[in-house]
Amino acid sequence: MTATQPDLGTWVGKGIDRVEGPHKVTGTAPYASDVTLPGMLHAVVVTSTIAAGSIVKIDSSALLTLPGVRAVFTHENFPRLNTPTQVLFGEAPVVPMQDARIAFHGQEVALVVADTPQEATEAARLLEITYAAEPPLLDPAGQRRETLPSSPDTSRGDTDAGWAAADVRVGATYRTPENTNNPLGLMGCVAVWDGDHLEIHDSTQGTIALRTILAGMFGVPESGVRVRVPYLGGGFGAGLNQWPYKILAAGAARELGVPVKLMLTRPQMFRLVGHRPNSEHQVRLGAARDGGLTMIEHRATSLSSMDFPAVGLLTSGTPHLYDCANVATVERTVRLNRRYPTSMRAPGEAEGNWAVETAMDELAHELGMDPLDLRLRNLATERDPATGKPWSSNAVIECCRVGAELFGWSRRDPRPASTREGDLLIGQGMAACGFFAYMPMSQARVTIYADGTAAVRSAATDIGTGTYTIITQVAADLLGLHPQQVDFQLGDSDMPASAHSGGSGLASSLSNAVIDAVSHLRGELLALAGPDSPLHGLAPDDVVCRDGALCRRDDPSAREPIADLLAGSGLVELAADGRLRPPEGAARDMVHAAAYGARFVEVAIDPMIGRLRVRRVVTVTDGGRILNKKLARSQILGATVGGIGQALFEDTLTDPGTGRVANGTFGDYLVAVNADVPDVEVAFVGEPDRYTPSGTKGIGEIGLVGVAAAIGNAVFHATGRRARDLPITVDQLMM
Amino acid sequence: MRAFLYDRPTAVDEAVAAVAADPQAAFLAGGTTQVDLMKDGVWTPDRLVDITRLPLRGILVESQQLKVGALTTMEELAAEPVVAQRLAFVREALLHGASVQLRNMATIGGNLLQRTRCRYFRDPTVSACNRRSPDSGCAAVDNVARMHAILGVDERCIALHASDVAVPLIAVDASVLVNGPAGQRRIPLTEFWVRADEGPSIENVLGHGDLITEIDIPLLPQGWRSGYLKVRDRASYEFALTSAAVALQLDGDLIADIRIALGGVGSVPWRAREAEEMLRGTPVDPLRFEQAGRAVMASAFTVPGTAFKVDLAVRTLSRQLLTMTEAKR
Ligand SMILES: Cc1cc2nc3c(=O)[nH]c(=O)nc-3n(C[C@H](O)[C@H](O)[C@H](O)COP(=O)(O)OP(=O)(O)OC[C@H]3O[C@@H](n4cnc5c(N)ncnc54)[C@H](O)[C@@H]3O)c2cc1C
Ligand code: SF4
Repeated sequence: MTATQPDLGTWVGKGIDRVEGPHKVTGTAPYASDVTLPGMLHAVVVTSTIAAGSIVKIDSSALLTLPGVRAVFTHENFPRLNTPTQVLFGEAPVVPMQDARIAFHGQEVALVVADTPQEATEAARLLEITYAAEPPLLDPAGQRRETLPSSPDTSRGDTDAGWAAADVRVGATYRTPENTNNPLGLMGCVAVWDGDHLEIHDSTQGTIALRTILAGMFGVPESGVRVRVPYLGGGFGAGLNQWPYKILAAGAARELGVPVKLMLTRPQMFRLVGHRPNSEHQVRLGAARDGGLTMIEHRATSLSSMDFPAVGLLTSGTPHLYDCANVATVERTVRLNRRYPTSMRAPGEAEGNWAVETAMDELAHELGMDPLDLRLRNLATERDPATGKPWSSNAVIECCRVGAELFGWSRRDPRPASTREGDLLIGQGMAACGFFAYMPMSQARVTIYADGTAAVRSAATDIGTGTYTIITQVAADLLGLHPQQVDFQLGDSDMPASAHSGGSGLASSLSNAVIDAVSHLRGELLALAGPDSPLHGLAPDDVVCRDGALCRRDDPSAREPIADLLAGSGLVELAADGRLRPPEGAARDMVHAAAYGARFVEVAIDPMIGRLRVRRVVTVTDGGRILNKKLARSQILGATVGGIGQALFEDTLTDPGTGRVANGTFGDYLVAVNADVPDVEVAFVGEPDRYTPSGTKGIGEIGLVGVAAAIGNAVFHATGRRARDLPITVDQLMM
Repeated sequence: MRAFLYDRPTAVDEAVAAVAADPQAAFLAGGTTQVDLMKDGVWTPDRLVDITRLPLRGILVESQQLKVGALTTMEELAAEPVVAQRLAFVREALLHGASVQLRNMATIGGNLLQRTRCRYFRDPTVSACNRRSPDSGCAAVDNVARMHAILGVDERCIALHASDVAVPLIAVDASVLVNGPAGQRRIPLTEFWVRADEGPSIENVLGHGDLITEIDIPLLPQGWRSGYLKVRDRASYEFALTSAAVALQLDGDLIADIRIALGGVGSVPWRAREAEEMLRGTPVDPLRFEQAGRAVMASAFTVPGTAFKVDLAVRTLSRQLLTMTEAKR
């Protein structure tokens, strides 16, 4: 088995404040929008006002006489670029402005570059474009151009037999709308070329992916592209893909030979940087009288853009949560003349869980069984039911039990519409959930200096979750230092390559890379210890760093000050690299488990006017080793707010005739506000995970999963009326 | 953004003259509507005449009415003790509107003149909008309509007047004082706005250069009670799906007198006179409340997205009447 790293525990786990907090609150943290370079011009994207067809004419010459306007790029003069390389994560971008074709309303069709953003915006507004419009494909149920498989189909056992054998059966269709990621930070970039060398300050979640894609497209070596993202105003997945806007800025900067800045507007954030696509799910469940599941069938469909791959993942959790012999999942994506989708916080799982956990509640009702008992009866905790191999950790049962206890679930009257308070109907609902494990490669470099301080460097990004802080804590523990003695530098593709901040994978990937790097650093330091040293001949795992010295793990009095070791060899610093290593020992035969959770919600509904308020949330998560209590709680809290938004408000609407986003502003697209969020009780359970030395699991996304189903199930309990389409709005609740 | 001239007069006449002289000029108060329209490119005046330096801010309390300077902010009006005592529904409507930050900027004059939130109106890339460009059609009718009106509208325009505070103000027969190129005049709010079905491109009776200087709000007589119920998707910071402003005087079990206006439903803040007449002088009776609401909705024009509002508006009014008469459903 992979040995759990023993040195974590002094700083790791503590709820220390964000190390970068002072920079953020004093406005000194440089986001891409803050970057200003000498001679820099400002670019504004112009987008199409038809959803299908082609551009007949763009009259850009008229703009060139306007004040401040320096250039207008269209498909006629934007450079032809190489086909982008497929990178590990994120769909390869569609190269913008290569031809006259229009594939969706809001597609990039021109770029206006001017001295000031105001001049560019005004000129962009005046640009006249003539289109030859064709009837767009917009209706998912209508004529379809293409249907793609998304996640692979899965099947075990015999679902027909399981259906036939069931004593109780449920089957229904569930829907989720389009949601838009909408990080608070507007995305944008500043691109500058020096000969064949490109530097780009951007809002990407993955610096290395952007480097690879830009290098390939512009035909320059990867070493010639530097991506800088020290700060990122959130992303929720919107920063995973390397969107066309960056390619436009880089192309314009190269053509014009000056730095070009391009910031998207809020309405453009609804069109140009992805969204969670609509989904539809047919779920069938069968169970024996005692509640044991006899079959699970989950068929799902979502949408994508004409030239774009599928986001998928809608059914990815279904085969793994419950112990059931007969399970089948099928997933398809329909391509339409709609804007590009992408991963949005808990992609696929947030939607698939809504469908399956609502169906589980329907099943519990049909069985006359407590929904909690139905979960406890069926959750697969020892082994992954899809492969039969043991989980590296799984505390989903504990999530349910602890949550039920904190919530007071046992006091719930199981009958729907049984609890009234004046005009209000009170309901309580719950849902169980998991989030798939995902852990792409990261590398890190750890440097120790003669003055006793240390630096960690990695090309990772901190999307706002706390990467700066948790990696500082991990390194402080491993190096025996105070966090203030550790400087974690990130967000620069010239540093050791790292995974993107996404898929809840970075905390595990990067903390294990740092563990590996420090292990190598101990080896390098040991190599400096001469024959007279008490440490001579020891292996890296036999020593630890404590109080500025390298010590024998079993006898800390046998020690060498690190400064002395360095000085003895004429060194002022020593660095070692590390990376995520494949699992070792018993871990190799385990299934890498990610986070689990259980959500408990109470709602109050005024059925006369359809008013719903979430009154209470208890959310329990198995997140493996928690690196920072405070930040972990913030992640779950923020995700709960997102889950409330998914359940009740968020709904990006498209005009049926034109494919235009109908509500692409924060005035029209509703997210949960403070008044919608009650006190949320956050708890963590479980043990360090056994798959990697850090023992961590990602917790960036799990907090959102299950919230919508728990709310919907509480609505049923309150009213006896089942909600199957999100968001659950006033008009659905008037009774 | 387009360049524009910016004036900051200190006298009312100066401000009126500045706008009257330039057909492309507009007044700027708190800017929470005006600046949004400019950013969206819907209305891009060449000259903005900032009126916030004019001496039009403050509240004069008289025995029968409040004289509210047009530049008084929404928060300031809500904080006035007499409003809490004698015009509870005005206070509630103010405090349920927008957000604290906006209410600190937004003026009461500007509130009455806020433009519709219709997203087709506010997106100049949409060509069909009879309100923005006469005779071009109405995109909202065929597309996504939820925050739209069902009263005083037809297929030419279903724009909602989204002000909250205007709803109780029209119920109490408030009026505005206007200074214009032709001098001063008083306009009752019941005659101030123009319904969309009477001409989608004209929103109110003001002419170019007319400046609202004051809003006069009659106080409810002693012994009246009032309240404002706002129904919306989220708990705060959103416009009404439907709302009801009710003021009434009870005499035992009898509704001696009553005033009703509805929000979230009309192309103008909607005084519900049919309902008032059906309920005035009648005993408290929940069934009658509903009938009164239905009577107001008899003329509703709906599209698929707004159809639910008919029922919701009736329920909103009923609920508010139930609450205020403490009747059992
Ligand atoms: C995000 C958001 C949410 C909102 N939510 C709500 C809500 O829930 N409920 C609600 O009622 N309102 C809401 N509002 C609207 C807000 O109340 C109005 O925008 C505000 O009251 C307008 O006042 P202002 O002083 O900012 O006006 P401005 O924007 O300065 O002016 C509005 C218009 O009136 C003209 N004007 C202003 N003052 C005068 C005057 N004295 N005489 C003649 N013309 C004048 C201007 O030329 C302009 O055309 C919201 C607004 C926003 C942006
Ligand atoms: S409802 Fe009125 S404002 Fe909206 S698009 Fe139609 S005409 Fe224009």
